[in-house]
Amino acid sequence: MGNPLLQVSGLNVTFATNDGAVNAVRDLGFEISRGETLGIVGESGSGKSQTVLALMGLLADNGQAQGSASFDGQQLLGLSSDELNRIRGTRISMIFQDPMTSLNPFLKIGRQMSLVLTQHQGLSRRAAMKQCADMLDAVHIPEAQRRLSMYPHELSGGMRQRVMIASALLCRPALLIADEPTTALDVTVQAQILGLMRELRTDFDTATILITHDLGVVAGLCDRVIVMRDGRCREAGTVDQIFYRPADEYTRELLAAVPRLDFERPQAEVTAVDLVVAQEQPPAKKNDRVILLQVDSLQVFFKVPGPGIFSASQTLKAVDGVSFGLVPGETLGVVGESGCGKSTLARGILRLVDVTGGRVCMLGRDLGVMDDNALKEARSDMQIIFQDPFASLNPRMMVRDIVAEPLQTHQPDLDGAAVNGKVVRMLQRVGLEPGHMNRYPHEFSGGQCQRIGIARALIVEPRLILCDEPVSALDVSIQAQIVDLLMELQASLDLSLIFIAHDLAVVQQISHRVMVMYLGRVVEVADRYSLYAHPKHPYTRALIEAVPIADPEIERRKSSTGLEGDVPSPLDPPSGCAFRTRCRYAAERCALERPRLRMVDETAVACHRVGEI
Amino acid sequence: MLLSVLAACGTPDSTDHTSRLLRGNGAEPESLDPHAVRSEAAGNILRDIGEGLVSFTADGRIVAGVAESWTISPDGLEYEFLLRPDARWSNGDPITADDFVYSFRRLADPGTAAFYASLLGAIVNAEAITRGEMPPERLAVTVLDDGRLHIRLKQATAYFLQLLSFPSTYPVHRDSVERYGTDFARPGRLLSNGAYRLQERVVGSHVKLTRNPFYWNDAQTRIDEVIFYALPDNMAELLRFRAGELDITSAIPAGSFARLNRDMPALLRVAPYLATYYLGFNLHREPFAGNRSLRRALSLAIDREVITQRVLGNGEQPAYSWTPPGINGYLPPPVGYEQWPPGQRLAEARRLYREAGYGPENGPEMELRFNTSEAHQRIAVAVQAMWKEALGLEVTLVQEEFRVMLQKIRGGQVNGLFRSSWIADYDDPLTFAEVLASDSATNMTGYNNPEYDSLLEKAAQEHNATKRYALLEKAEALAMEDVPLIPVYHYVSKHLVASRVGGWQDHALDYHMSKDLFLIPEGDGRQ
Amino acid sequence: MIRYAIQRFLGAIPTLLILIALAFIMIRVAPGGPFDAEKQLLPEIEANLRAAYHLDEPLVQQFGRYLYALIQGDFGPSFQYRDHTVTELIMDGFPVSLRLGGLAMLLALIVGVSLGTLAAFRQNTPTDYTVMGVAMTGISIPNFVMAPLMILLFAVYLKWLPAGGLGDGGIANLVLPVIALALPQIAYVARLTRGSMIEVLRSNFIRTASAQGLPMRTVIVQHALKPALLPVISYIGPATAAIITGSVVIEQIFGVPGLGRYFVQGALNRDYTLVMGVVVFYGVLIISFNFLVDLLYGWLDPRVKY
Repeated sequence: MGNPLLQVSGLNVTFATNDGAVNAVRDLGFEISRGETLGIVGESGSGKSQTVLALMGLLADNGQAQGSASFDGQQLLGLSSDELNRIRGTRISMIFQDPMTSLNPFLKIGRQMSLVLTQHQGLSRRAAMKQCADMLDAVHIPEAQRRLSMYPHELSGGMRQRVMIASALLCRPALLIADEPTTALDVTVQAQILGLMRELRTDFDTATILITHDLGVVAGLCDRVIVMRDGRCREAGTVDQIFYRPADEYTRELLAAVPRLDFERPQAEVTAVDLVVAQEQPPAKKNDRVILLQVDSLQVFFKVPGPGIFSASQTLKAVDGVSFGLVPGETLGVVGESGCGKSTLARGILRLVDVTGGRVCMLGRDLGVMDDNALKEARSDMQIIFQDPFASLNPRMMVRDIVAEPLQTHQPDLDGAAVNGKVVRMLQRVGLEPGHMNRYPHEFSGGQCQRIGIARALIVEPRLILCDEPVSALDVSIQAQIVDLLMELQASLDLSLIFIAHDLAVVQQISHRVMVMYLGRVVEVADRYSLYAHPKHPYTRALIEAVPIADPEIERRKSSTGLEGDVPSPLDPPSGCAFRTRCRYAAERCALERPRLRMVDETAVACHRVGEI
Repeated sequence: MLLSVLAACGTPDSTDHTSRLLRGNGAEPESLDPHAVRSEAAGNILRDIGEGLVSFTADGRIVAGVAESWTISPDGLEYEFLLRPDARWSNGDPITADDFVYSFRRLADPGTAAFYASLLGAIVNAEAITRGEMPPERLAVTVLDDGRLHIRLKQATAYFLQLLSFPSTYPVHRDSVERYGTDFARPGRLLSNGAYRLQERVVGSHVKLTRNPFYWNDAQTRIDEVIFYALPDNMAELLRFRAGELDITSAIPAGSFARLNRDMPALLRVAPYLATYYLGFNLHREPFAGNRSLRRALSLAIDREVITQRVLGNGEQPAYSWTPPGINGYLPPPVGYEQWPPGQRLAEARRLYREAGYGPENGPEMELRFNTSEAHQRIAVAVQAMWKEALGLEVTLVQEEFRVMLQKIRGGQVNGLFRSSWIADYDDPLTFAEVLASDSATNMTGYNNPEYDSLLEKAAQEHNATKRYALLEKAEALAMEDVPLIPVYHYVSKHLVASRVGGWQDHALDYHMSKDLFLIPEGDGRQ
Repeated sequence: MIRYAIQRFLGAIPTLLILIALAFIMIRVAPGGPFDAEKQLLPEIEANLRAAYHLDEPLVQQFGRYLYALIQGDFGPSFQYRDHTVTELIMDGFPVSLRLGGLAMLLALIVGVSLGTLAAFRQNTPTDYTVMGVAMTGISIPNFVMAPLMILLFAVYLKWLPAGGLGDGGIANLVLPVIALALPQIAYVARLTRGSMIEVLRSNFIRTASAQGLPMRTVIVQHALKPALLPVISYIGPATAAIITGSVVIEQIFGVPGLGRYFVQGALNRDYTLVMGVVVFYGVLIISFNFLVDLLYGWLDPRVKY
């Protein structure tokens, strides 16, 4: 094996803050050999990102790194920025989490890529462009030449991350550091990017440090793993050691918190899975057949200006004919890639956007024909929780006022004491202290803020809560807590939930039924078990296959034939079955005729070939 | 290096040998058409480029202008002017009596809408023409022959010759006016008849004049070029004077008198100026209507010496009379208390105040209104304090934009007093006296005393200068007894004049024609 | 793009009409009239003047007359400067103000952006504090104090530069007024640039560029400058419109024949047509410059589409 490529020992990272020094990384040591992939796993605040930023000399101004980091015989810590610049981008490259913000939105792809080459290899602009195009080819970006003159916003999220990877590999670095490279992406795209990284690791013989909170990603990609918490290494070992024989308590907790889709793993190995199963949703009580919410052929179209001067405006069919019913106490999960219309569906149900066609009935009353007062009253039965817990709380309002806000609309005649009483009860209900009433949102963590959002939704005692990606922005362990809270509230209050998420595992955990959407249409609806165990629609299958499983064995066995390409533009959806362009089973008929939902076993599925595959 | 290049650029042009006089001229002249002007800034330029039938010397005496001589009939109604045979327009055309007839008719014509059409008011039919009741041809200004002009007045007017030195009575060139209409007064078009002619005009910057070789007295003109700079900001003007870019300033900045008087006393020219700063009562309304004692008390309670010396400190003279002393030999009648010690004045003020029915506890409610300006404000504050201390009177100060205040004054809406000033139009006491006539358009207080009006009427009929002055004195004494207004101070004119400028003389109306000035060649006298 | 331009142009017409109507009403509601002075005119003379300028007509008719002339590009005669039309006054003054203001804005941009970038790059260092301190001073010292001080120093004592006027149109005469006009703008631009540059330097793509081993100079010039200039661009649109229509203070102190003083003097003199003229002119400029800024925005920021 020879000398390790990078040898880190006794690494400490401290930040000078107004409240004194904060130790982000404490006495960390690890090494990585050429061609090896090291996973660093931990929740936010564990110090995993600061570790690599310290190696790259990219710590914030108030940050300070001590210890030793020997890269190919050269000490990285304490280098001047000129010396660092001879290593960064050439010998060590880095890719970041969010490809939208990590690429410069103001520069063309070719320009920002070629700067690296003109800087480090002194290439002419032309030669640099040529190399960039080749590299885009290497990361499987179609029409590479044309992409060079495009801006980041003109590319899909997956493409952007490919561009990031291509930029990082331009100078053939010995070490690639990937900081949460797939976290912001859809599962299908995540699978593509992970596949690409696996492939490139072989092609370029690059050592990789992969930083992630997602144990599934680690399981599929890494040779060795470090688990970090509070700046310290809790456990280090090979991937099999960590997953199958975790020695540290925290590692076990982490593994336990992972919601899993697979039902076929060896039970004896991981006790945590049993915990997960135990927490899963008991079946919804179907004793009363009262339909709480009935959605019939809902359509939400947007007008978009045409591309030319005189061309007519185009129609974006965000939601195109969605129907379902919901009984009290039931949870309907809605999944699909970004842009499939799931958030618009929620807004359409609440009439937060104008509905183009179809009906939404709450307890048999059509919301579409209600006057403003009736609609207001109906809305007190339907509340929504948003994705970003910080952005959806007014930072200038105290928690009491935030939580009490819906009461002003729906129960304006309550006096102050009654409001306070309700707020206190509601805060306690969602696991917060009554004393939190007089604080402001910024004093709370993400999970707590989401609890505040839930309290706000619950205070008017709704029958239905629409949860729009309520846990996507949270750490895994916090996700689990919030999901538990929602399930517990549902059970005790007989709430109905519509739970929208791109994370299939979370949806699986909380839902009774799951609805899969693609380009504004429903492709499959089934109860949780059927859907995950026996997915009927090719798209559903692809989605489920794409989810990385926190189990190295399974990940290694996985075929690499994931879903290819991106979701087509909703402005110009494919004819017939919208999914046919990415479907490996597509036949002539799929292009001609739009498949309708039909029942196959217990499952409603919209696929012409469902019987044949 | 850069700076030395800039320095070279900045050196005042001294390569040519044309003598050039650089004058600060205050505001931008609104026009150079003699019939469209009313401002001092325009007047200063017009006096350089034009000349009336009569003119005046540097110290203000009336002398021959375009007319080399004239005769006045014994009843003072008929004027006959003999024009100079060598009087020429700036293109060499001779000036004839016809030019004056045309110009006077244009001035009176309502279609011209001249501000100073009233200058001709004394001429038979002029007023009717301006009102549009008669055609301009009926104006009693007639050609006797090319060189002789006849004017008939409807009543004797002692200062009529003075009016004929006023720029609005200068001749305009008929052909250019008819050819270019209202736009004739521009460089390249304007034909004039003074010592200089218009060379260049940049609105907002300057007006450049060059010597007019056709001027009858061109031999006496000693400066070749004159540039009038529009510099409404007195501080900017002072800076340019100090940088050597001006020979004469139009004024000095407020509050700078003492400093300039110390630093450059030889260059500071201060002279009495025929203007009075006053506080007018609104005599239409309570509390001043019919309450002479109160008005007199307020007047007595103001210590003018304090205002001129301590509040202003610019060399102004305390004013007790309406007319400034020394206007064409006229001496305003004393009001009696000029020489009283302050204690006596205050005692009398308090006595009158009580007599008017007021005391320290029950003062009248009133406002003192002034237009926005730091100097006005300082005076108003001082007056407010003086009244408070002397009489226990609380007056409210109201600051308003000029035209807003004017409209209130003219509408009789002022509740109390207002500040204003009056500047002589011509060098005769009547220019002040007529302001207080009951039918005067500029009588802003509403003063109406039939006895005063009849004294003015008598003075108008009086041909004997001494007797006429006596009547005017009597009228003024009467008015001052009535106290329709409180004279506060008489103005002084203040200029900085570079030491290289010779021939500068004080002038009661502050007229200084460039043709009377010369440049002392040796030594740079500017600071 | 062209459609966008046409839309903006059509959209500007009602805005302008409202502006014209408001200005027309407001200047006429103001007490006093254009011919008022301490020496009251004889009633017949005032009547003649009012007739000559159609002020004796009903207001609606005057407004119609004004609009009709305006459509033909005629702003009418000035009431104050009787031998000039408002169009002439504006066309005489505007080139001067444009040259002065254009140079001042250019100076402000070059110096302001440089200083702001420097301060942002050396955030919270003595350099930063010095630059921002000077900028604050630049903003807080008003022109009517700064300009005379500059004249006193450079014209009166050092005699390097002329104290005022346009002279023969040489550069020397422009130096002081341009600097005086630019100083507060430099300060604003520097502060804006610093703020947005700091924000941009914190953004993820700058971190990416640093991780690519690009030197700071390249990072700032190639990556950060364009986005950091966006807030500056949206500031300089209206600011340029304001500055190239002149500043009454600068014009009066330096004796520069620009447009600026008409805004104040026109209103004080109740020169109705002049006030209307400069308001309409300024309105058109503001609208045009906002349009230009939007175009510039679209050019700078590829995400903006028209």
